[in-house]
Amino acid sequence: MNTKEFGDYIIRVDNIGKTFDNGVVALKDFSTNIRRSEVVVLIGPSGSGKSTFLRCLNGLEEIDSGSITVDGIPLDDNKKNRLEIRKEVGMVFQHFNLFPHLTVLKNISLAQMLVRKKSRVEAEDETMQLLKKVNIAEKANVFPSQLSGGQQQRVAIARALAMKPKVMMFDEATSALDPEMIGEVLEVMKDLAVEGMTMVVVTHEMGFAREVSDWVIFMEDGMKVEEGTAEHFFSDPKMDRTKLFLSQIL
Amino acid sequence: MGSSILQFCKRHHLLDFSAYLVLMVGGIILLLKGAEDQGYYWQWFRIPKFLYQFEDGRFIAGPILNGLKITLNITWISLILTYIIGLVTALMRLSNSLMARGIARAYLELTRNTPLLVQIFFMYFVVAPILDIDRFTAAVLALSLFEGSYASEIYRAGIVAVNKGQWEASYTLGLNSYQNYRYIILPQAIRRILPPLTSQAISLIKDSSLVSVIAIYEMTMNANEIASETFLVFEIFFTIAAIYLALALTLSRVVAYFEKRYRVVT
Repeated sequence: MNTKEFGDYIIRVDNIGKTFDNGVVALKDFSTNIRRSEVVVLIGPSGSGKSTFLRCLNGLEEIDSGSITVDGIPLDDNKKNRLEIRKEVGMVFQHFNLFPHLTVLKNISLAQMLVRKKSRVEAEDETMQLLKKVNIAEKANVFPSQLSGGQQQRVAIARALAMKPKVMMFDEATSALDPEMIGEVLEVMKDLAVEGMTMVVVTHEMGFAREVSDWVIFMEDGMKVEEGTAEHFFSDPKMDRTKLFLSQIL
Repeated sequence: MGSSILQFCKRHHLLDFSAYLVLMVGGIILLLKGAEDQGYYWQWFRIPKFLYQFEDGRFIAGPILNGLKITLNITWISLILTYIIGLVTALMRLSNSLMARGIARAYLELTRNTPLLVQIFFMYFVVAPILDIDRFTAAVLALSLFEGSYASEIYRAGIVAVNKGQWEASYTLGLNSYQNYRYIILPQAIRRILPPLTSQAISLIKDSSLVSVIAIYEMTMNANEIASETFLVFEIFFTIAAIYLALALTLSRVVAYFEKRYRVVT
Protein backbone atom coordinates (compact mmCIF):
# COMPACT_ATOMS: atom_id res chain seq x y z
CA MET A 1 0.00 0.00 0.00
CA ASN A 2 1.16 3.49 -0.67
CA THR A 3 2.20 5.45 2.35
CA LYS A 4 3.71 8.43 0.54
CA GLU A 5 2.55 11.90 1.46
CA PHE A 6 1.38 13.98 -1.45
CA GLY A 7 1.32 17.74 -1.57
CA ASP A 8 -0.88 20.11 -3.52
CA TYR A 9 -1.28 19.94 -7.26
CA ILE A 10 1.92 20.96 -9.06
CA ILE A 11 0.69 20.32 -12.59
CA ARG A 12 -2.80 21.16 -13.76
CA VAL A 13 -3.88 20.16 -17.23
CA ASP A 14 -7.33 21.24 -18.38
CA ASN A 15 -8.95 20.00 -21.56
CA ILE A 16 -5.92 20.27 -23.78
CA GLY A 17 -6.09 19.41 -27.46
CA LYS A 18 -3.31 18.99 -29.99
CA THR A 19 -3.52 18.31 -33.72
CA PHE A 20 -0.32 18.05 -35.77
CA ASP A 21 0.14 19.90 -39.05
CA ASN A 22 -0.40 16.66 -40.96
CA GLY A 23 -3.88 16.37 -39.45
CA VAL A 24 -3.08 13.66 -36.90
CA VAL A 25 -4.99 14.29 -33.68
CA ALA A 26 -2.58 13.60 -30.82
CA LEU A 27 -4.57 14.79 -27.82
CA LYS A 28 -8.31 15.27 -27.42
CA ASP A 29 -9.77 17.16 -24.50
CA PHE A 30 -7.22 15.69 -22.10
CA SER A 31 -7.25 16.68 -18.44
CA THR A 32 -5.30 15.53 -15.42
CA ASN A 33 -3.81 16.94 -12.25
CA ILE A 34 -0.57 15.80 -10.70
CA ARG A 35 0.36 16.32 -7.04
CA ARG A 36 3.77 16.96 -5.58
CA SER A 37 5.79 13.76 -5.03
CA GLU A 38 3.36 11.76 -7.11
CA VAL A 39 4.66 9.27 -9.68
CA VAL A 40 2.30 9.12 -12.63
CA VAL A 41 2.84 6.51 -15.31
CA LEU A 42 1.32 6.87 -18.75
CA ILE A 43 0.85 3.70 -20.74
CA GLY A 44 -0.87 2.87 -23.99
CA PRO A 45 -0.22 1.69 -27.53
CA SER A 46 2.17 3.68 -29.69
CA GLY A 47 0.59 6.74 -31.22
CA SER A 48 -1.80 7.12 -28.31
CA GLY A 49 -0.47 10.57 -27.41
CA LYS A 50 1.62 9.76 -24.31
CA SER A 51 4.83 11.34 -25.55
CA THR A 52 2.99 14.29 -27.05
CA PHE A 53 1.40 14.91 -23.66
CA LEU A 54 4.84 15.01 -21.99
CA ARG A 55 6.19 17.31 -24.69
CA CYS A 56 3.24 19.66 -24.22
CA LEU A 57 3.95 19.88 -20.49
CA ASN A 58 7.24 21.71 -21.05
CA GLY A 59 6.26 23.50 -24.22
CA LEU A 60 8.23 21.40 -26.72
CA GLU A 61 4.88 21.07 -28.49
CA GLU A 62 2.27 23.81 -28.63
CA ILE A 63 -1.23 22.98 -27.48
CA ASP A 64 -4.16 24.09 -29.65
CA SER A 65 -6.70 24.41 -26.85
CA GLY A 66 -7.04 24.05 -23.09
CA SER A 67 -4.52 25.15 -20.50
CA ILE A 68 -1.49 23.89 -18.61
CA THR A 69 -0.18 25.29 -15.33
CA VAL A 70 3.09 24.14 -13.76
CA ASP A 71 3.76 25.16 -10.18
CA GLY A 72 1.39 28.08 -10.56
CA ILE A 73 2.96 29.34 -13.79
CA PRO A 74 0.69 29.24 -16.83
CA LEU A 75 2.26 27.78 -19.97
CA ASP A 76 1.27 30.46 -22.47
CA ASP A 77 2.86 32.55 -25.20
CA ASN A 78 4.88 34.48 -22.64
CA LYS A 79 8.50 33.55 -23.34
CA LYS A 80 9.57 34.18 -19.76
CA ASN A 81 6.96 31.79 -18.39
CA ARG A 82 8.10 29.14 -20.84
CA LEU A 83 11.73 29.44 -19.81
CA GLU A 84 10.68 29.40 -16.16
CA ILE A 85 8.69 26.19 -16.64
CA ARG A 86 11.51 24.52 -18.56
CA LYS A 87 13.81 25.20 -15.64
CA GLU A 88 11.40 23.50 -13.26
CA VAL A 89 10.59 20.51 -15.45
CA GLY A 90 13.44 18.11 -16.23
CA MET A 91 13.13 15.76 -19.16
CA VAL A 92 14.83 12.51 -20.06
CA PHE A 93 14.54 11.39 -23.66
CA GLN A 94 14.39 7.98 -25.30
CA HIS A 95 17.58 8.68 -27.25
CA PHE A 96 19.41 10.44 -24.37
CA ASN A 97 20.26 13.53 -26.47
CA LEU A 98 23.54 14.12 -24.68
CA PHE A 99 25.74 16.80 -26.25
CA PRO A 100 28.33 14.80 -28.23
CA HIS A 101 30.95 17.56 -28.31
CA LEU A 102 31.09 17.96 -24.52
CA THR A 103 32.45 15.64 -21.85
CA VAL A 104 30.10 14.10 -19.32
CA LEU A 105 31.22 16.68 -16.78
CA LYS A 106 30.46 19.57 -19.13
CA ASN A 107 27.19 18.02 -20.32
CA ILE A 108 25.94 18.23 -16.75
CA SER A 109 27.65 21.45 -15.63
CA LEU A 110 26.85 23.66 -18.63
CA ALA A 111 23.22 24.48 -17.90
CA GLN A 112 23.91 24.91 -14.19
CA MET A 113 26.37 27.65 -15.06
CA LEU A 114 24.33 29.26 -17.84
CA VAL A 115 20.83 28.97 -16.43
CA ARG A 116 21.29 28.64 -12.67
CA LYS A 117 24.25 31.07 -12.75
CA LYS A 118 26.51 28.85 -10.65
CA SER A 119 30.28 29.24 -10.68
CA ARG A 120 32.26 26.54 -12.46
CA VAL A 121 33.47 25.09 -9.15
CA GLU A 122 29.98 24.94 -7.67
CA ALA A 123 28.57 23.40 -10.83
CA GLU A 124 31.29 20.79 -11.08
CA ASP A 125 30.93 19.87 -7.41
CA GLU A 126 27.24 19.34 -7.90
CA THR A 127 27.94 17.37 -11.07
CA MET A 128 30.29 15.00 -9.27
CA GLN A 129 27.69 14.44 -6.53
CA LEU A 130 25.09 13.58 -9.13
CA LEU A 131 27.45 11.29 -11.02
CA LYS A 132 28.06 9.41 -7.76
CA LYS A 133 24.33 9.18 -7.27
CA VAL A 134 23.87 7.55 -10.67
CA ASN A 135 26.96 5.36 -10.09
CA ILE A 136 29.11 6.69 -12.89
CA ALA A 137 31.51 9.13 -11.23
CA GLU A 138 34.56 7.58 -12.91
CA LYS A 139 33.31 8.63 -16.34
CA ALA A 140 33.26 12.36 -15.70
CA ASN A 141 35.89 13.19 -18.29
CA VAL A 142 34.90 10.98 -21.18
CA PHE A 143 32.72 11.88 -24.13
CA PRO A 144 29.20 10.44 -24.48
CA SER A 145 30.20 8.29 -27.47
CA GLN A 146 32.53 6.33 -25.17
CA LEU A 147 29.66 5.25 -22.90
CA SER A 148 27.17 2.41 -23.15
CA GLY A 149 23.50 3.23 -23.67
CA GLY A 150 22.67 2.63 -20.03
CA GLN A 151 25.51 4.87 -18.89
CA GLN A 152 24.46 7.60 -21.32
CA GLN A 153 20.93 7.51 -20.02
CA ARG A 154 22.15 7.77 -16.44
CA VAL A 155 24.22 10.81 -17.42
CA ALA A 156 21.10 12.28 -19.06
CA ILE A 157 19.17 11.78 -15.82
CA ALA A 158 21.96 13.44 -13.85
CA ARG A 159 21.96 16.33 -16.34
CA ALA A 160 18.24 16.89 -15.82
CA LEU A 161 18.56 16.58 -12.02
CA ALA A 162 21.35 19.13 -11.95
CA MET A 163 18.81 21.84 -12.66
CA LYS A 164 17.04 20.88 -9.41
CA PRO A 165 13.72 20.50 -11.22
CA LYS A 166 10.47 20.16 -9.32
CA VAL A 167 9.16 17.64 -11.82
CA MET A 168 11.01 14.97 -13.83
CA MET A 169 9.57 13.58 -17.04
CA PHE A 170 10.77 10.35 -18.62
CA ASP A 171 9.86 9.75 -22.26
CA GLU A 172 10.38 6.01 -22.81
CA ALA A 173 13.73 6.34 -21.11
CA THR A 174 14.54 2.63 -21.40
CA SER A 175 13.11 1.85 -24.84
CA ALA A 176 16.36 2.40 -26.74
CA LEU A 177 18.46 0.34 -24.34
CA ASP A 178 19.78 -3.20 -24.58
CA PRO A 179 17.85 -5.43 -22.19
CA GLU A 180 20.73 -5.86 -19.75
CA MET A 181 21.00 -2.09 -19.31
CA ILE A 182 17.36 -1.37 -18.57
CA GLY A 183 17.74 -2.42 -14.94
CA GLU A 184 20.44 0.11 -14.07
CA VAL A 185 18.34 2.98 -15.39
CA LEU A 186 15.14 1.81 -13.71
CA GLU A 187 17.08 1.54 -10.44
CA VAL A 188 17.99 5.23 -10.62
CA MET A 189 14.39 6.12 -11.44
CA LYS A 190 13.11 4.10 -8.49
CA ASP A 191 15.50 5.85 -6.13
CA LEU A 192 14.18 9.19 -7.34
CA ALA A 193 10.60 8.12 -6.74
CA VAL A 194 11.45 7.00 -3.22
CA GLU A 195 13.09 10.36 -2.52
CA GLY A 196 9.80 12.04 -3.31
CA MET A 197 10.48 13.48 -6.76
CA THR A 198 7.36 14.28 -8.74
CA MET A 199 7.60 12.13 -11.85
CA VAL A 200 5.65 11.76 -15.07
CA VAL A 201 6.76 8.61 -16.82
CA VAL A 202 5.92 7.20 -20.23
CA THR A 203 7.06 3.60 -20.25
CA HIS A 204 6.45 0.09 -21.47
CA GLU A 205 8.04 -1.37 -18.34
CA MET A 206 4.97 -2.72 -16.58
CA GLY A 207 7.01 -4.06 -13.66
CA PHE A 208 8.24 -0.54 -12.97
CA ALA A 209 4.75 0.93 -13.35
CA ARG A 210 3.32 -1.60 -10.94
CA GLU A 211 6.01 -1.24 -8.32
CA VAL A 212 6.74 2.48 -8.34
CA SER A 213 3.78 4.42 -9.66
CA ASP A 214 1.09 6.05 -7.56
CA TRP A 215 -1.24 6.63 -10.44
CA VAL A 216 -1.52 4.95 -13.83
CA ILE A 217 -3.19 6.48 -16.87
CA PHE A 218 -4.00 4.32 -19.86
CA MET A 219 -4.36 6.29 -23.08
CA GLU A 220 -5.53 5.59 -26.57
CA ASP A 221 -6.17 7.93 -29.51
CA GLY A 222 -5.23 10.98 -27.47
CA MET A 223 -7.77 10.27 -24.75
CA LYS A 224 -7.80 8.74 -21.30
CA VAL A 225 -9.29 5.27 -21.42
CA GLU A 226 -8.86 4.39 -17.77
CA GLU A 227 -6.87 5.57 -14.77
CA GLY A 228 -6.33 4.52 -11.20
CA THR A 229 -3.83 3.41 -8.60
CA ALA A 230 -1.31 0.84 -9.77
CA GLU A 231 -2.95 -1.77 -7.62
CA HIS A 232 -6.40 -1.20 -9.04
CA PHE A 233 -5.16 -0.74 -12.55
CA PHE A 234 -3.16 -3.94 -12.90
CA SER A 235 -5.23 -6.31 -10.83
CA ASP A 236 -8.72 -5.09 -11.56
CA PRO A 237 -9.01 -3.07 -14.77
CA LYS A 238 -12.56 -2.05 -15.61
CA MET A 239 -12.47 -1.36 -19.34
CA ASP A 240 -12.24 -4.10 -21.95
CA ARG A 241 -9.70 -2.07 -23.92
CA THR A 242 -7.42 -1.91 -20.88
CA LYS A 243 -7.78 -5.62 -20.25
CA LEU A 244 -6.89 -6.38 -23.87
CA PHE A 245 -3.84 -4.11 -23.77
CA LEU A 246 -2.60 -5.59 -20.50
CA SER A 247 -3.12 -9.13 -21.73
CA GLN A 248 -1.00 -8.33 -24.79
CA ILE A 249 1.81 -6.63 -22.96
CA LEU A 250 2.14 -8.59 -19.71
CA MET B 1 56.11 -15.98 -56.16
CA GLY B 2 54.37 -13.97 -58.87
CA SER B 3 51.20 -13.73 -56.84
CA SER B 4 53.06 -12.57 -53.75
CA ILE B 5 54.65 -9.70 -55.73
CA LEU B 6 51.20 -8.78 -56.98
CA GLN B 7 49.90 -8.80 -53.42
CA PHE B 8 52.79 -6.65 -52.25
CA CYS B 9 52.01 -4.16 -55.02
CA LYS B 10 48.33 -4.17 -54.12
CA ARG B 11 48.96 -3.63 -50.46
CA HIS B 12 51.15 -0.63 -51.08
CA HIS B 13 48.97 0.74 -53.90
CA LEU B 14 52.02 0.51 -56.13
CA LEU B 15 49.99 -0.15 -59.27
CA ASP B 16 47.74 2.81 -58.59
CA PHE B 17 50.68 4.98 -57.86
CA SER B 18 52.58 4.02 -61.02
CA ALA B 19 49.51 4.65 -63.16
CA TYR B 20 49.19 8.07 -61.56
CA LEU B 21 52.85 8.83 -62.20
CA VAL B 22 52.66 7.75 -65.85
CA LEU B 23 49.62 9.99 -66.43
CA MET B 24 51.17 13.03 -64.79
CA VAL B 25 54.54 12.71 -66.51
CA GLY B 26 52.75 12.06 -69.81
CA GLY B 27 50.69 15.21 -69.34
CA ILE B 28 53.73 17.33 -68.67
CA ILE B 29 55.63 15.92 -71.66
CA LEU B 30 52.64 16.64 -73.90
CA LEU B 31 52.45 20.19 -72.60
CA LEU B 32 56.14 20.87 -73.17
CA LYS B 33 56.02 19.27 -76.60
CA GLY B 34 53.00 21.36 -77.54
CA ALA B 35 54.79 24.53 -76.54
CA GLU B 36 57.92 23.47 -78.41
CA ASP B 37 55.92 22.69 -81.58
CA GLN B 38 54.49 26.17 -81.46
CA GLY B 39 57.99 27.47 -81.37
CA TYR B 40 57.57 28.88 -77.88
CA TYR B 41 60.85 29.84 -76.38
CA TRP B 42 60.80 29.19 -72.63
CA GLN B 43 62.65 31.81 -70.62
CA TRP B 44 62.21 30.66 -67.06
CA PHE B 45 65.51 32.27 -66.12
CA ARG B 46 63.88 35.69 -66.45
CA ILE B 47 61.19 34.91 -63.88
CA PRO B 48 63.01 35.16 -60.51
CA LYS B 49 63.65 38.88 -60.77
CA PHE B 50 59.90 39.48 -60.93
CA LEU B 51 59.56 37.54 -57.70
CA TYR B 52 62.45 39.01 -55.73
CA GLN B 53 65.87 40.57 -56.08
CA PHE B 54 68.89 41.01 -53.88
CA GLU B 55 70.43 44.44 -53.88
CA ASP B 56 73.55 44.85 -51.77
CA GLY B 57 72.60 41.65 -50.00
CA ARG B 58 69.19 43.09 -49.13
CA PHE B 59 66.03 41.21 -50.07
CA ILE B 60 63.70 43.25 -52.28
CA ALA B 61 60.28 41.83 -53.18
CA GLY B 62 59.45 41.93 -56.88
CA PRO B 63 56.08 42.91 -58.33
CA ILE B 64 54.66 39.41 -58.01
CA LEU B 65 55.47 39.12 -54.32
CA ASN B 66 54.21 42.65 -53.74
CA GLY B 67 51.01 41.66 -55.48
CA LEU B 68 50.84 38.52 -53.37
CA LYS B 69 50.96 40.68 -50.25
CA ILE B 70 47.91 42.61 -51.44
CA THR B 71 46.14 39.42 -52.47
CA LEU B 72 46.72 38.01 -48.99
CA ASN B 73 45.51 41.22 -47.35
CA ILE B 74 42.33 41.27 -49.40
CA THR B 75 41.80 37.58 -48.78
CA TRP B 76 42.13 37.44 -45.01
CA ILE B 77 39.97 40.49 -44.36
CA SER B 78 37.35 39.27 -46.83
CA LEU B 79 37.49 35.79 -45.34
CA ILE B 80 36.67 37.00 -41.84
CA LEU B 81 33.86 39.18 -43.20
CA THR B 82 32.61 36.29 -45.35
CA TYR B 83 32.29 34.01 -42.33
CA ILE B 84 30.56 36.69 -40.26
CA ILE B 85 28.15 37.68 -43.05
CA GLY B 86 27.48 34.02 -43.79
CA LEU B 87 26.67 33.20 -40.18
CA VAL B 88 24.47 36.24 -39.65
CA THR B 89 22.57 35.59 -42.89
CA ALA B 90 22.07 31.93 -42.00
CA LEU B 91 20.71 32.86 -38.56
CA MET B 92 18.44 35.45 -40.18
CA ARG B 93 17.08 32.86 -42.59
CA LEU B 94 16.38 30.49 -39.71
CA SER B 95 14.82 33.12 -37.46
CA ASN B 96 11.12 33.54 -36.76
CA SER B 97 11.11 37.14 -37.95
CA LEU B 98 9.55 37.58 -41.36
CA MET B 99 11.57 40.75 -41.96
CA ALA B 100 14.90 39.09 -41.18
CA ARG B 101 14.06 36.17 -43.45
CA GLY B 102 12.98 38.53 -46.21
CA ILE B 103 16.16 40.62 -46.09
CA ALA B 104 18.36 37.53 -46.04
CA ARG B 105 16.49 36.05 -48.94
CA ALA B 106 16.72 39.18 -51.08
CA TYR B 107 20.46 39.48 -50.39
CA LEU B 108 21.05 35.84 -51.30
CA GLU B 109 19.09 35.97 -54.53
CA LEU B 110 20.81 39.18 -55.64
CA THR B 111 24.37 38.11 -54.92
CA ARG B 112 24.14 34.54 -56.07
CA ASN B 113 22.36 35.25 -59.32
CA THR B 114 24.57 38.03 -60.69
CA PRO B 115 28.20 37.77 -61.84
CA LEU B 116 30.87 38.68 -59.31
CA LEU B 117 32.51 40.92 -61.90
CA VAL B 118 29.35 43.03 -62.17
CA GLN B 119 29.12 43.21 -58.38
CA ILE B 120 32.69 44.45 -58.14
CA PHE B 121 31.98 47.17 -60.72
CA PHE B 122 28.73 48.07 -58.97
CA MET B 123 30.46 48.32 -55.61
CA TYR B 124 33.26 50.47 -57.03
CA PHE B 125 31.35 52.77 -59.35
CA VAL B 126 28.01 53.09 -57.51
CA VAL B 127 28.37 52.26 -53.83
CA ALA B 128 31.91 53.49 -53.18
CA PRO B 129 31.28 57.15 -54.17
CA ILE B 130 28.12 57.24 -52.04
CA LEU B 131 29.81 55.79 -48.96
CA ASP B 132 33.07 57.51 -49.77
CA ILE B 133 35.22 54.38 -49.46
CA ASP B 134 38.50 53.61 -51.20
CA ARG B 135 38.96 50.96 -53.85
CA PHE B 136 40.55 48.45 -51.49
CA THR B 137 37.55 48.59 -49.15
CA ALA B 138 35.19 48.37 -52.12
CA ALA B 139 37.00 45.26 -53.32
CA VAL B 140 36.89 43.64 -49.89
CA LEU B 141 33.19 44.45 -49.50
CA ALA B 142 32.27 43.12 -52.94
CA LEU B 143 34.19 39.90 -52.38
CA SER B 144 32.89 39.24 -48.88
CA LEU B 145 29.28 39.96 -49.79
CA PHE B 146 29.56 37.59 -52.73
CA GLU B 147 31.28 34.75 -50.87
CA GLY B 148 29.19 35.39 -47.74
CA SER B 149 26.01 34.39 -49.53
CA TYR B 150 27.50 31.00 -50.38
CA ALA B 151 28.92 30.62 -46.88
CA SER B 152 25.49 31.32 -45.42
CA GLU B 153 24.01 28.35 -47.24
CA ILE B 154 26.80 26.18 -45.87
CA TYR B 155 26.14 27.38 -42.32
CA ARG B 156 22.43 26.85 -42.76
CA ALA B 157 22.90 23.28 -43.97
CA GLY B 158 25.21 22.59 -41.02
CA ILE B 159 22.80 24.05 -38.48
CA VAL B 160 19.78 22.25 -39.89
CA ALA B 161 21.73 18.97 -39.89
CA VAL B 162 22.21 19.03 -36.11
CA ASN B 163 19.90 16.41 -34.62
CA LYS B 164 16.53 17.74 -33.47
CA GLY B 165 17.09 16.05 -30.11
CA GLN B 166 19.98 18.44 -29.41
CA TRP B 167 17.69 21.46 -29.71
CA GLU B 168 15.10 19.81 -27.52
CA ALA B 169 17.59 18.79 -24.84
CA SER B 170 19.02 22.28 -24.74
CA TYR B 171 15.62 24.00 -24.53
CA THR B 172 14.48 21.53 -21.90
CA LEU B 173 17.44 22.54 -19.76
CA GLY B 174 16.27 26.14 -19.97
CA LEU B 175 18.97 27.53 -22.30
CA ASN B 176 17.80 30.53 -24.30
CA SER B 177 18.25 30.83 -28.08
CA TYR B 178 21.59 32.58 -27.87
CA GLN B 179 23.04 30.09 -25.38
CA ASN B 180 21.65 27.23 -27.43
CA TYR B 181 23.38 28.38 -30.61
CA ARG B 182 26.56 29.44 -28.87
CA TYR B 183 27.21 26.34 -26.77
CA ILE B 184 25.26 23.49 -28.36
CA ILE B 185 24.33 23.96 -32.00
CA LEU B 186 27.15 25.96 -33.61
CA PRO B 187 30.04 23.96 -32.09
CA GLN B 188 28.51 20.85 -33.62
CA ALA B 189 27.53 22.47 -36.91
CA ILE B 190 30.90 24.12 -37.53
CA ARG B 191 32.82 20.90 -37.05
CA ARG B 192 30.71 19.38 -39.79
CA ILE B 193 30.94 22.27 -42.23
CA LEU B 194 34.69 22.88 -41.95
CA PRO B 195 35.43 21.15 -45.28
CA PRO B 196 32.89 23.16 -47.35
CA LEU B 197 33.84 26.37 -45.52
CA THR B 198 37.43 25.71 -46.54
CA SER B 199 36.41 25.28 -50.17
CA GLN B 200 34.74 28.64 -49.83
CA ALA B 201 37.98 30.17 -48.56
CA ILE B 202 39.83 28.68 -51.51
CA SER B 203 37.26 30.14 -53.92
CA LEU B 204 37.81 33.46 -52.23
CA ILE B 205 41.57 33.32 -52.76
CA LYS B 206 41.05 32.61 -56.45
CA ASP B 207 38.19 35.08 -56.91
CA SER B 208 40.31 37.82 -55.37
CA SER B 209 42.13 37.94 -58.74
CA LEU B 210 38.98 39.52 -60.19
CA VAL B 211 39.39 42.74 -58.24
CA SER B 212 42.22 43.64 -60.62
CA VAL B 213 39.45 45.09 -62.81
CA ILE B 214 39.14 48.06 -60.48
CA ALA B 215 42.90 48.65 -60.68
CA ILE B 216 43.94 47.02 -57.45
CA TYR B 217 47.52 45.91 -57.88
CA GLU B 218 47.19 42.43 -56.49
CA MET B 219 49.08 39.44 -57.83
CA THR B 220 47.07 38.80 -61.00
CA MET B 221 47.04 42.46 -61.96
CA ASN B 222 50.81 42.67 -61.62
CA ALA B 223 51.25 39.41 -63.52
CA ASN B 224 49.13 40.80 -66.33
CA GLU B 225 51.28 43.88 -66.58
CA ILE B 226 54.55 41.95 -66.59
CA ALA B 227 53.19 39.54 -69.20
CA SER B 228 52.17 42.33 -71.52
CA GLU B 229 55.53 44.05 -71.17
CA THR B 230 57.75 41.00 -71.49
CA PHE B 231 55.62 38.48 -73.42
CA LEU B 232 56.56 35.84 -70.84
CA VAL B 233 52.88 34.87 -70.76
CA PHE B 234 53.20 31.18 -69.89
CA GLU B 235 56.05 31.56 -67.42
CA ILE B 236 54.37 34.36 -65.49
CA PHE B 237 50.93 32.83 -65.36
CA PHE B 238 52.27 29.37 -64.49
CA THR B 239 54.22 30.98 -61.68
CA ILE B 240 51.25 32.76 -60.14
CA ALA B 241 49.09 29.66 -60.67
CA ALA B 242 51.67 27.74 -58.63
CA ILE B 243 51.49 30.37 -55.90
CA TYR B 244 47.66 30.22 -55.80
CA LEU B 245 47.92 26.43 -55.69
CA ALA B 246 50.39 26.53 -52.82
CA LEU B 247 48.14 28.90 -50.86
CA ALA B 248 45.05 26.76 -51.37
CA LEU B 249 46.81 23.51 -50.52
CA THR B 250 48.33 24.95 -47.35
CA LEU B 251 44.91 26.12 -46.25
CA SER B 252 43.30 22.72 -46.88
CA ARG B 253 46.06 20.98 -44.94
CA VAL B 254 45.68 23.26 -41.95
CA VAL B 255 41.93 22.79 -41.88
CA ALA B 256 42.22 19.03 -42.33
CA TYR B 257 44.41 18.98 -39.24
CA PHE B 258 41.87 20.89 -37.15
CA GLU B 259 39.05 18.81 -38.51
CA LYS B 260 40.77 15.64 -37.36
CA ARG B 261 41.64 17.09 -34.00
CA TYR B 262 38.16 18.32 -33.10
CA ARG B 263 36.13 15.55 -34.65
CA VAL B 264 32.94 14.68 -32.76
CA VAL B 265 31.64 11.14 -32.69
CA THR B 266 27.87 11.09 -32.56
